[in-house]
Amino acid sequence: MPATFSRRRLEWLLLLLCISLSGGSPTDPVMTTQDASQSQVNPLTKVQARLNESSGPDPTTQDLKQPSKETMSNGSFVQSEILLPGASGTPLERIITLANATTVELSCKLDTNSHLKSPQVTWKRGNETISHTSKTESSWSIRLAVVDNSKMGSYSCILKGEEEISGVFHLQVPKIEARGKFVISYERDAAVLLCKSGATPMAWTWYMISGSKQIVINASLQADKYLIDRVSANVTHLRILKITKEDAGVYCCEATFELGKATLEIELKVLSIMAPLKPFLAVVAEVVILLTTIILYEVYSKRKEKCTVLIKENMSNKPEVDLRF
Amino acid sequence: MSPPVLSDLGYVPPDGGWGWVVVFGASISIGFAYTFPKAFTIYFKELQAVYSISYSQIAWTTSIMCATTYGGGPISSILVNRYGSRPVVMFGGLLCGVGMISAAFCTSILQLYICVGFITGFGLALNLQPSVIIIGRYFLKRRPIANGLAMAGSPVMLCTLAPLNQFLFDNFGWRGSFLILGAILLNCCVAGALFRPIGAATASVKTQVTEEGKNCLKGKITEDALEMSSPTSVPMENKTEEEGGKDCCEKINQYLDFSLFKHRGFLIYLIGNVLMFLGFFAPIVFLAPYAKHTGIDEYSAAFLLSILAIVDMVARPTTGIIANSKWVRPRIQYFFSFSIAFNGTCHLLCPLASSYTGLVVYSGFYGLAFGMVCAMLFETLMDLVGASRFTSAVGLVTIAECCTILLGPPIGGTLIDTFGDYKYMFIKCGAVMVLAGTFLFIMNYYNYRMLAKEEKERKAKEEDPKSVRTENEGRNNWNKDTTEVGPELEPLREEQGVKKEMNGTNEV
Repeated sequence: MPATFSRRRLEWLLLLLCISLSGGSPTDPVMTTQDASQSQVNPLTKVQARLNESSGPDPTTQDLKQPSKETMSNGSFVQSEILLPGASGTPLERIITLANATTVELSCKLDTNSHLKSPQVTWKRGNETISHTSKTESSWSIRLAVVDNSKMGSYSCILKGEEEISGVFHLQVPKIEARGKFVISYERDAAVLLCKSGATPMAWTWYMISGSKQIVINASLQADKYLIDRVSANVTHLRILKITKEDAGVYCCEATFELGKATLEIELKVLSIMAPLKPFLAVVAEVVILLTTIILYEVYSKRKEKCTVLIKENMSNKPEVDLRF
Repeated sequence: MSPPVLSDLGYVPPDGGWGWVVVFGASISIGFAYTFPKAFTIYFKELQAVYSISYSQIAWTTSIMCATTYGGGPISSILVNRYGSRPVVMFGGLLCGVGMISAAFCTSILQLYICVGFITGFGLALNLQPSVIIIGRYFLKRRPIANGLAMAGSPVMLCTLAPLNQFLFDNFGWRGSFLILGAILLNCCVAGALFRPIGAATASVKTQVTEEGKNCLKGKITEDALEMSSPTSVPMENKTEEEGGKDCCEKINQYLDFSLFKHRGFLIYLIGNVLMFLGFFAPIVFLAPYAKHTGIDEYSAAFLLSILAIVDMVARPTTGIIANSKWVRPRIQYFFSFSIAFNGTCHLLCPLASSYTGLVVYSGFYGLAFGMVCAMLFETLMDLVGASRFTSAVGLVTIAECCTILLGPPIGGTLIDTFGDYKYMFIKCGAVMVLAGTFLFIMNYYNYRMLAKEEKERKAKEEDPKSVRTENEGRNNWNKDTTEVGPELEPLREEQGVKKEMNGTNEV
């Protein structure tokens, strides 16, 4: 049923109903689209993202125990497995988010119901072949010591039998989320740009992108203009004070992990006071016009009533009784 | 039950004509009052970041707004009793607008609490009660339909306000949106301007005029003039007698009728509704999270709520039409208790629905039950206490309901947190509502029987051939009396009398 709706209409509906009656804050339409499209690839990252959302409408949903088959690299060892060929519809890809140096074991396991017998298995990263670390009759794994960015990427295990099946593991740094693609602010007002990461980065850096150049924002140099706040371990705020038209543009927040960097771009739009004032005055004018119309109509109909009363009195030809209040 | 027309309101309500315009205005007003807090939550994330506060701190804004809207009921009632509906609604609309416009320039969360929470909340309170009250003034025979239509304004306004808010936020940021929302709320003033005052003075002029016109043709002018003026003038005589011996209780009762607490029907309604609201709003709040918890994706979970809203929108006027039919109207209290119990049963059965189809069916039935209850919420109170005392009754009821309305979702949330399972919340809500429905059913059965008994006693007194004066006194005692006349008997008797008057008053 929902599949028959267009995406845009679904977004409106989602907004309408996430906020309606639930008393909670809506999920950003942009982010939910991303979530939904990723769900094919990795239903588990979505689960994690939902759990990590600290400003959800009901804190209760976070407390519920959600099974997470995929782990973040909080410990120093991560294990991940893909079942091949798997049930139809199950993704043959896994996204593993790593922030710190970890030992990773990736395994491809043969489904016991599968008809494939003793296939030849190769592990590859790009064009480079990697030798197995361990091998059994139905599972093949490699173990990697991921200590820097060079080891990140996509690793695939290829099973060659009657047909070729492959499972892919994507090793990535945690993605950054923001409230939206752009932030609207007004002149002489202050704006806050927010970036949130899935894991704790070593450092946050903010850039302003003008043209093709990236200018680092140094809060200590311009303390009356910029304020970079590390609100919590995973969240950073860039507060821009006394905004002017020149501050409009694209800003970029960068999270530095041991294993790489993640970036996100947010656009700041600066409006003048006149921008909302026009619709405001239009609505006020509409209200005034309607009020005047209603009052005039009422006065007119009251006068008409009085006229008919007078006419009736004259016609019935009886002693005058003042019935008018 | 319809109270005897002349003695309760002092005039015959038009039941149409300008009344439908009033219903339209009331639906706008009621729509804003109920949906604005919900639609406001779209700004939470932004405000959290701007003021560096937690979710619960920003959620206080809407909590304060809701609490002020319901808690401001008695003040609203006092003002309506004193000044009438129209000035109060227009002032309320102005207050809402001023509140939101000033919120656009706020620099701290405390200022936001005051501007958005208190000022706008109070303005919405001044919108909600008078809108409901004026329907009782304009309608009698078709009152359930009018109530159903007016309450249908809430889901319609929600469907428009929610996307509008998002659009404003995307284009103007939160400050610009607050400014424009303030202007939009000024439309409540327009709705208020439609609430033309109607009362004994204006209505009786018309009846006198038309009666005069008719009777002068027959030449019975003097006698008829005396006859027509007596019902209206004798109450005034009694009033002056009363005023001589008034004490402070009477004076307070003039503004806010505390003697309602001795009214049997009012107490039944109060207890039943206060109990019902404990489990009324919580399931809506937790429906989408519950759906996601059972593994349904976000879009489908949101779709459940849209099914609920659409069914709700259709159910409200339909319930009004059903409640107005001649089989249901005399027994409308039973219909109300049935719909509450039906609502509760839906919640009790919800945990059994684990698949998406089951939840869709649940949403549909829940929307239906929700609409039924909302449409009849105020109609049943009007039915019990009568339109003239409804002004004070609605104020007292809303302030009592205020507590349980605000407590309901947090209690549900605590249950979910403690047990880690949504089903206990649904069971609690369902049980509370079934209990409320059963209580109302039994107590209203008792109430109907007592009313029938009192009607019999009143009739026995009337048949006493002592004097016309006694009869007049008896009729005037109705005006001050706390008990109302039996439901089954009055509408049938008055129907013929009302029909004659209808032609005269249906001018505007």
